[in-house]
Amino acid sequence: MSSEFRYVGQPVKRFDVDKVYGGALFASDIELPGMLWIKLVSAPYSHARIKRIDCSEALKIPGVVAVFTGEDFPYKVGIYAADRDVLARGKVLYYGHPIAAVVAESLDIAEKAAETIDAEFEPLPAVLSIEEALSPRAPVIHERLGEYRRASFINPVPGTNIANRVKLRKGDAQKAMEDVDVVVEETYRSDPQSHAYMETWAGAATIRSDGTVEVWSSHQSPFAVRNLLAMSLGLPVSKIVVHHLYTGGGFGGKAGLLLEHIPVLISMKLGGRPVFLQLNREENFYYMAQKPGFLFKMKTGATKDGKLVFHIGEYYLDAGAYADYTVNVIRSSTFMATGPYEIPHIHVDGYAVYTNKVPTTAFRGFGILELTASFEQQMDILAEKLGIDPIEFRLKNALKPGVSITPTQEVLAEDAGDPAGVIRRAAELIGYHIPPQRSEEPWKVRGKGIAAAWKGPVQPPNAASSAIVKLNEDGSVDVLVGTGEFGQGTIIALAQIVAEELGIPVEKVRISPYRSTDLVPYTWQTVGSRGLYSDGQALIRALQDLKDQIKEVAARAFNVFKDEVEIRDGKACVVGKHSECIPLERLALGYTFPSGETIHGPIIGRGSHVPSGTTYLDPETGKGNPKPFVTFVAGGVEVEVDLVTMQVRVLKAVLVTDARIINPGLAEGQAYGGILMGIGLALKEAIGFDEIGALRNPSFLEYRLPRVEDMPVEMIFESLNVPQRNAPYGAKGIGELTALPWQAAIANAIYRAIGVRVKEYPITPERLLKAVKEQRPDILTELRKIMVGV
Amino acid sequence: MSLILRTTLPDFDYLLPSSLDELLALKAKYGERAAVIAGGTVLLNLIRLGFRYDYVIDIKGVRELSAIEYREGKGLVIGAAVTLRDLENNEVVRDKYRVLWDAVRQIGDFHLRNRATIGGNICNPTLQADTIAPLAVLGASIEISSMRGSRRVAIWELVKEGGGLLLDPDEILTRIYIPEPPKGSRGAYFKVWWIAGIAALAANIDNPRERIVRIAYSFAPSPKLVEGVERIFRQEKPLKVLIGDAINYIKTIVTPPSDARASREYREHLVEFGTAYLLRKLLGVEV
Amino acid sequence: MRISLTVNGVKRVVDVKPNERLLDVLRYRLGIKSVRAGCLVGDCGICTVIVDGKLVKSCLVLAAEANGSNIVTVEGLSTNMRPSPVQRAFVESFGYQCGYCTPAFVLTAHWITENMVNASDEEIARVLNSVVCRCTGYKQIVDSVKLALKWRREGGER
Ligand SMILES: Cc1cc2nc3c(=O)[nH]c(=O)nc-3n(C[C@H](O)[C@H](O)[C@H](O)COP(=O)(O)OP(=O)(O)OC[C@H]3O[C@@H](n4cnc5c(N)ncnc54)[C@H](O)[C@@H]3O)c2cc1C
Repeated sequence: MSSEFRYVGQPVKRFDVDKVYGGALFASDIELPGMLWIKLVSAPYSHARIKRIDCSEALKIPGVVAVFTGEDFPYKVGIYAADRDVLARGKVLYYGHPIAAVVAESLDIAEKAAETIDAEFEPLPAVLSIEEALSPRAPVIHERLGEYRRASFINPVPGTNIANRVKLRKGDAQKAMEDVDVVVEETYRSDPQSHAYMETWAGAATIRSDGTVEVWSSHQSPFAVRNLLAMSLGLPVSKIVVHHLYTGGGFGGKAGLLLEHIPVLISMKLGGRPVFLQLNREENFYYMAQKPGFLFKMKTGATKDGKLVFHIGEYYLDAGAYADYTVNVIRSSTFMATGPYEIPHIHVDGYAVYTNKVPTTAFRGFGILELTASFEQQMDILAEKLGIDPIEFRLKNALKPGVSITPTQEVLAEDAGDPAGVIRRAAELIGYHIPPQRSEEPWKVRGKGIAAAWKGPVQPPNAASSAIVKLNEDGSVDVLVGTGEFGQGTIIALAQIVAEELGIPVEKVRISPYRSTDLVPYTWQTVGSRGLYSDGQALIRALQDLKDQIKEVAARAFNVFKDEVEIRDGKACVVGKHSECIPLERLALGYTFPSGETIHGPIIGRGSHVPSGTTYLDPETGKGNPKPFVTFVAGGVEVEVDLVTMQVRVLKAVLVTDARIINPGLAEGQAYGGILMGIGLALKEAIGFDEIGALRNPSFLEYRLPRVEDMPVEMIFESLNVPQRNAPYGAKGIGELTALPWQAAIANAIYRAIGVRVKEYPITPERLLKAVKEQRPDILTELRKIMVGV
Repeated sequence: MSLILRTTLPDFDYLLPSSLDELLALKAKYGERAAVIAGGTVLLNLIRLGFRYDYVIDIKGVRELSAIEYREGKGLVIGAAVTLRDLENNEVVRDKYRVLWDAVRQIGDFHLRNRATIGGNICNPTLQADTIAPLAVLGASIEISSMRGSRRVAIWELVKEGGGLLLDPDEILTRIYIPEPPKGSRGAYFKVWWIAGIAALAANIDNPRERIVRIAYSFAPSPKLVEGVERIFRQEKPLKVLIGDAINYIKTIVTPPSDARASREYREHLVEFGTAYLLRKLLGVEV
Repeated sequence: MRISLTVNGVKRVVDVKPNERLLDVLRYRLGIKSVRAGCLVGDCGICTVIVDGKLVKSCLVLAAEANGSNIVTVEGLSTNMRPSPVQRAFVESFGYQCGYCTPAFVLTAHWITENMVNASDEEIARVLNSVVCRCTGYKQIVDSVKLALKWRREGGER
């Protein structure tokens, strides 16, 4: 699509160059005059009654201003369910649960004081796994679960540890079980994992003398922070201003309200003094919500000719002590139940389950990572059992736009994309049917694998966006939007759209990365790959409004009808007449006739967008439309298994999406980033717990992230450029999609390399060795023969 | 009881002696209340996470501790404060002490090695040290000094029976002595993260009677030089067979630990196949 | 205690406490905010600065240890508001996203162009392996470094 447009579809450079040149500001860089530092103190028990917290020593230390404990802040915080205490009250729910906050003149003093705080606990039996949590004898973690404020579509089961229960019913899966030739029943699991965004959370708050609460924090969505602060603390929206600076990565981990309520409440207690809380990496592992571990049970049946017939699933997410977005994440997994395939009979129960572990939340992919990691192994296992090529099997069952019925029983939209196309192309690019080249070292074995996924933003039907565009005196424009900038570069893509629409150089479009909720128009959240789609549409409407006004003014200036005016190259011209043009700068403040008479005044466009056609879902069946659009994606990998170390290296990764791309440079960045993150989730990253529920590895020394050395030798990203109706230039989001296929693709490739299937992520050398010993002990016997000689 | 995850370092005084005498005097005076800092890549982490000292004594002001000296026929003397980068860039180390060079290049990352020192590596109280096994196969000894004088001990005596370093509170490691390696020797280091390290050195491969093959393992808490491997390789059998014999022998001697990072089972796999990989590479035996 | 540092060419004299890290002194006493903490254990490399010509993770250096040294941060790469070619290469090749790790990568790239003009892909990777980026998947960072090296070898941009 590149040739049609001057800016859209081009690799326009990022303009947030202060990140490279110096001067970029993040919430962690905030220093307010007279600012006090907060240090959190937490509990070394997974589940315990708080008997006593003695802060008297801390208060004696010079420089300590105050110490607060749970009873000081009787609020419940949360997005879909208000299940979280500000600081633990009565009991602690996980190892590392904050119980007190020390406020002091410096961090140094606050930390010294924190160490003097003496607390006593009475341990309670703890629940450390999904299975334990579901046992009828399990201790109930949230005893007042039924009383929590919650969104209408969240269904906790009071008296149990079930934070949300979701049902999906399509057709009659029980009955359909009789009509199949092959059934595969498997269980897939993963450890909890971490967003590991590079900027640990930080937030500052102060209260202005007029009572306005001001917050600066590291977050994805300023309006979500404002809304949740208002809702949780009972403050009027009009008295909250949330400032968004650059955010050092989010990946879903900074989607909603993080810990902003702590500095806000503390500042309120201290007469509005500015206070600051910044987590270090260990604290970030304990105090910030992580990606939930999962347990997905699946039973899927197909006929001999390779048609999928039924799917029965029990999907569990280990929500930890507080479920934050996880209660909605499980809805996403459940409603997208079977990946990009059509299955007539589906019966899935989804559960988010409380345990006495670190809290969890959304993660790039929002439930589809878990689904894809599981279902795409299931597909390969089925294909093998059926004796059908895995690609052919996928193509045979791929959803057909305009025809297929989705798990939530809608007809898949005509313009939904190209599910079969992405699979076919990814298979081609990875050379799925061409055997990999043999390694020169016989203990290294290669294999190729593939996985496909679909994803749309699972958001409330009223997830709105809005935009304002101001025309400046020099013909440049300022764009006001509410979306957050944390790396994705949505604002660059939005600027390209403005440049395209007005025919002005992209350098003349300014979209500040910094924003405050009182100065920019509303957008719901920057999540779910919706930024470009939703804010883009609001922006296009604002531009229409702006252009309309320009035309109106120009028409009067030219004394022609409005529809005789067109806007091109930064000018308003009479259609068909090259000489009769007025540059936009002369219209910015209205038009002044030679007589001095001036009309209209400054030109400002505004636009709003709310997705049409998305609905709430039927609580018993899941019927309805949860998402305004979907994107399809497929990924292929070639891996090399080193049987000496049992380490797996990804040699090549190919990613194909069907989305239209506004900026290939940004899209590639998402793709490569998604691939490396996928490799980490597939092979390296796991949050470990010891017997008492303490984290084994709350540090980058032990939580292992992908590095340059993990980069595949070759990475290819392609887009099929299928236009989406009602989308800005036909474009839709890909940010999350790029991370989806890798876990299953890698697992499938390992299987095709050495015939060993690992159904638990990450596939560490340790797990792979165990699986080899169980499934293919002959491999080791053979290896021993060639390497050891016995 | 409560959990505090600190950002700042607790208080201590910083001392920067400029001579060895001064350094030893300070260490004698403060003993266990003082920690010496070389690169600080271990020490500062330990201090933040809970170790407490009243004094941190910087040894980088003592010139002689940063020297590398090689004398043909006599061997190499490395000051305790020599950085891993200096070792990596040193041609003698690269050419003659390959096993050490190979190990050093795999420690941490490029930036870290600009600070990290060999002395700090050896004296790491967590005993995760990738230089010890290479030094063991090279027959290195270390010089430990205090006001009371200096002593030299073999590197494998560094870790006391039952864990802990041999150093007394007033002592510091001053130098590492590595003898001239066997003529024409080769060396290599095999490493998997912080899970296992295997150092091997070989010389006179084609002559069974003078053949030298040494292997050492660095598993915390006790690095181990496997004696007896040399004897196996002195036999007049095809190298391929000897490798098998050696590994079977090693498997009876080396019992790796199980910990949060890896199970004993996985480490046993590495001992078996990692050693095979390393020996084949060193001895030039095709698979 | 009083120490003196030359930071981006300017001599600065600061009073520090013995337990302060170089990272903290740069950030809080000298206001150089591009030097950021990522993990505080010397792993992620986000706090990288150049000390006396060497790439160093400033979270594991005491300010006292840096007394008398010469320090370069990204702020010191541009001259008179003109970004250096290395910095421009990162913009040209989309070598950054959220920007949090970017100064560390830019400084690392700068060091590579100053010290390893003919570096192979493998050598570049060995040095870049010291810093963690969660956004980019590294490809466009590596491309940025290669572009900067190419400009350097060819004497100037393009
Ligand atoms: C990210 C990261 C990765 C790492 N990876 C590796 C790895 O792969 N392999 C590995 O082996 N290590 C690794 N380490 C650990 C460490 O970096 C190395 O062991 C390094 O060589 C330590 O040297 P140093 O000079 O920094 O030690 P320091 O921190 O200065 O000292 C370490 C300890 O030794 C003591 N000490 C130092 N010098 C002396 C002396 N002369 N006499 C007596 N005591 C002394 C100190 O008091 C301290 O207790 C890693 C560390 C980090 C942070």
